[in-house]
Amino acid sequence: MFVTLLFYAFATVLVGAALGVVLSRNPVHAALFLVLAFFTSAALWLLLEAEFLGIVLVLVYVGAVMVLFLFVVMMLDVNVAQLREGLTRHAPLGALVAGIMIVEIVYVVWVRELGGTLGPMPAASVASVSNTKALGAVLYTDYALPFQLAAVVLLVAIVAAIVLTMRKRPGYRQQDIAAQVAVRREDRVRIVKVDPAGRP
Amino acid sequence: MIGLPHFLVLAGVLFSIAVAGIFLNRKNMIVLLMCIELMLLAVNFNFIAFSRWLGNLDGQVFVFFILTVAAAESAIGLAILVVVFRERRGINVDSLDAMRG
Amino acid sequence: MNLLLSLWTEYRELIVLTVEIIAVMLAVVISVALMTYAERKVIGWIQVRHGPNQIRIFGLPFFKGLAQPFADVIKLLLKEVIVPTNADKFLFLIAPLVALTPALATWAVVPFSPEFVLADIDAGLLYILALTSLGVYGIILAGWAANSKYALLGAMRSAAQIVAYEIAMGFALVGVLMAAGSLNLTDIVRAQSHGYAAYGWPWQAAGFLTWNWFWLFPLMVVYFISGIAETNRAPFDVAEGESEIVAGFHVEYSGATFATLFALPEYANMILVATLASVFFMGGWQSPFDGYLAPTSLLAEPSFMWLALKILAFLFCFLWFRATFPRYRYDQIMRLGWKVFIPITLVWIAVESAMAWFRVGPWASLG
Repeated sequence: MFVTLLFYAFATVLVGAALGVVLSRNPVHAALFLVLAFFTSAALWLLLEAEFLGIVLVLVYVGAVMVLFLFVVMMLDVNVAQLREGLTRHAPLGALVAGIMIVEIVYVVWVRELGGTLGPMPAASVASVSNTKALGAVLYTDYALPFQLAAVVLLVAIVAAIVLTMRKRPGYRQQDIAAQVAVRREDRVRIVKVDPAGRP
Repeated sequence: MIGLPHFLVLAGVLFSIAVAGIFLNRKNMIVLLMCIELMLLAVNFNFIAFSRWLGNLDGQVFVFFILTVAAAESAIGLAILVVVFRERRGINVDSLDAMRG
Repeated sequence: MNLLLSLWTEYRELIVLTVEIIAVMLAVVISVALMTYAERKVIGWIQVRHGPNQIRIFGLPFFKGLAQPFADVIKLLLKEVIVPTNADKFLFLIAPLVALTPALATWAVVPFSPEFVLADIDAGLLYILALTSLGVYGIILAGWAANSKYALLGAMRSAAQIVAYEIAMGFALVGVLMAAGSLNLTDIVRAQSHGYAAYGWPWQAAGFLTWNWFWLFPLMVVYFISGIAETNRAPFDVAEGESEIVAGFHVEYSGATFATLFALPEYANMILVATLASVFFMGGWQSPFDGYLAPTSLLAEPSFMWLALKILAFLFCFLWFRATFPRYRYDQIMRLGWKVFIPITLVWIAVESAMAWFRVGPWASLG
C-alpha cells in the first residue's frame, strides 16, 4: 500500500519534471527539471531493488553529467526567444505524436498484456548478498570484456572532449607550475655580506 | 498493486515526452541533448523493471553500460556544442547549414 | 490520552526514529555554531591574539565569548534579505536549501557509537559519495541566481574545484572499501579492529596500529586534503576569496539566506569530512588502547567519546591549516587535484591490490 503510494507520487513528479524539461522557457530551468527527473528515477529504481544503480545514477548523472550541462548552459549567452519560435506552431503536432506513441505503448503493454503476463511483483528476494556485491560478481566475470570496452569508451570520450575544446591562443602565456614547484633555493636566494657603512 | 505494466507505461510516457521534446525544441541544441538523456532514462527504466521481474541481473548490467555510454556521449555532445558556439555565437541547429567551417 | 497511547504503540519505531533524527540535526547545528566560535578563537591564538571574548552567557564571568555565535545567528536572522533585481527569485531562494540538504542528509549513515546509527544501510559509502557530489549544486545555483558576474565566476571556479577533488576522494574511499570489504560504515569501522596475528605484537592486538591510517596512509592524506578542498576551506578557498573576488558566490546573499547558504553548509560539511576521516581511517568509535589494555577497563571500551576526540583532532587541523598556509592560486588547485592526487590514489590502489594478493596487512587474516 505504501509502495503503491510511493510509486504514484514519484511517477507523477517524474512525468511533471519531464514535461518541465521539454516546455521550459529557460535552459537553466530545463536542466534543473532534468535533475529532478533523475532524482525521482533513482527513487523509483530503489523501489525496484536496484540500489547500486539508483545511487550511481545520482552520483554519475546528477553529480557529474548535469553539472557539465549546467556549466555549458550558464557560460553560453543564449538568445532563447529566437530558439523558441517554432514551439507554438508545432505544439499540436508534437502533442499528437506523443499521444499516439503513448496510446500504442499502453495498448501493447496493458491491454494486450504482452508485458504483463509475468504477474505481480515477485517477492523481495532474500538478500544474501547486497545488490552491489551481486552486480560485482557478475560484472567482473561474465561481463569482464564489455567492462573493459566501456572503460575504453570513457577514455575516448575524455580525449575527444579535451581535443575538441582545448585551444592554444597565440600570445597566451601560461605558468608552468611544475617548474615553479621544482625551483631550488640556491637558484633564487643569494646571501650577500654588506658592510654596515655602505661600502660594497 | 504495482505490476510490470505500470513501469513499462511510465517508461513509455517518458520516452514519448522526450520525442515530443525533440519535436518542439528542434532548434535548441542543449534541450535536444537533454531530451536524448530522457530517452535513455526511459530505456533504463524498462531494463531495470524487467530485471526485477525475471530475477536476472543482466538487465542491471546493461543499464550500467548504458549509463557509461550516455555519460560519454553527453560529454562529447557538449564539447561539440561549445566549439559550435565559439564559431557561430549561437546554438541554433539551423545555423549548421554549410559543409565547411 | 487513549489516542496517544494507541498512536505510540502502533508507530513506535517511527516516532523514536523521528526523535533521533531531530536530536542528530540539533547536535549538528549546535556543533556548527560552536565551530565558528572555535575557529575564531583558535586562529586568534595562533595569531597571538584573543578571539572573541566579550559576549557572555547570562553575564557569567567565565567562558567569555561563548555566546558569540548565538549573537551572530540572531544578528543574521534579523538582517534584511535583499533579492537583487533581475535575479531568478525562485532559484535565489532555493539555493540555500539545495546547499544545506546534502550537508545534513549525509549524517544519516554515520555510525556514532556501536549502538547508534540512524540508518545502517548496506550501501552507506555509495550514499555518502552521492550526497557529497550534490553539494556542488547549491553553489552553482547561488552563483547563477544572483545575476552578478562576481558570483557567477566564483561559483564556476568553486564547482570545477569540487568536481576535481571529488574524484580523488572517491578513489581514496575505494581504497577503504577494498580494505574493509563492505560498503556498510559500521562494517568498515569494525573491520579496522582486527588484529594482524601474522605480525605479532603490537600489530597483533587491535588498536591504534591496526586502523586504516597505517596501511592506507597516502589515501588518508589525500582524503583529508581533498576534503579541505571540497568544503572550500583555506588554503583552497579561492571561491570565497575574501580578498580577491569579494566573497565569490555568496556576495549577493545577506541575512538568513547567507547563514543557510554559506555558514551552515560549509561548517556542517567541514565537521562531516572530519567525521568521515575518523570513521574511515582512524577507527571510528574504537578506542586506541583496544587490544593493549584489558577489554573491561574503561579506556579500552569503544564509545562515542573516542569518535568525538578524533573529530576534534581533525577539526583542529582544519583551523590550523587556515591560519598557516597562504591561499593557493586557482590553476595550482586544479593541477593538484587532477595531476597529483588522482595519480597518488590510483597508484596506491594498485599497491593495495598487490598487498591483498600477497596477504599483507588487512588481508593477512584471509588465509
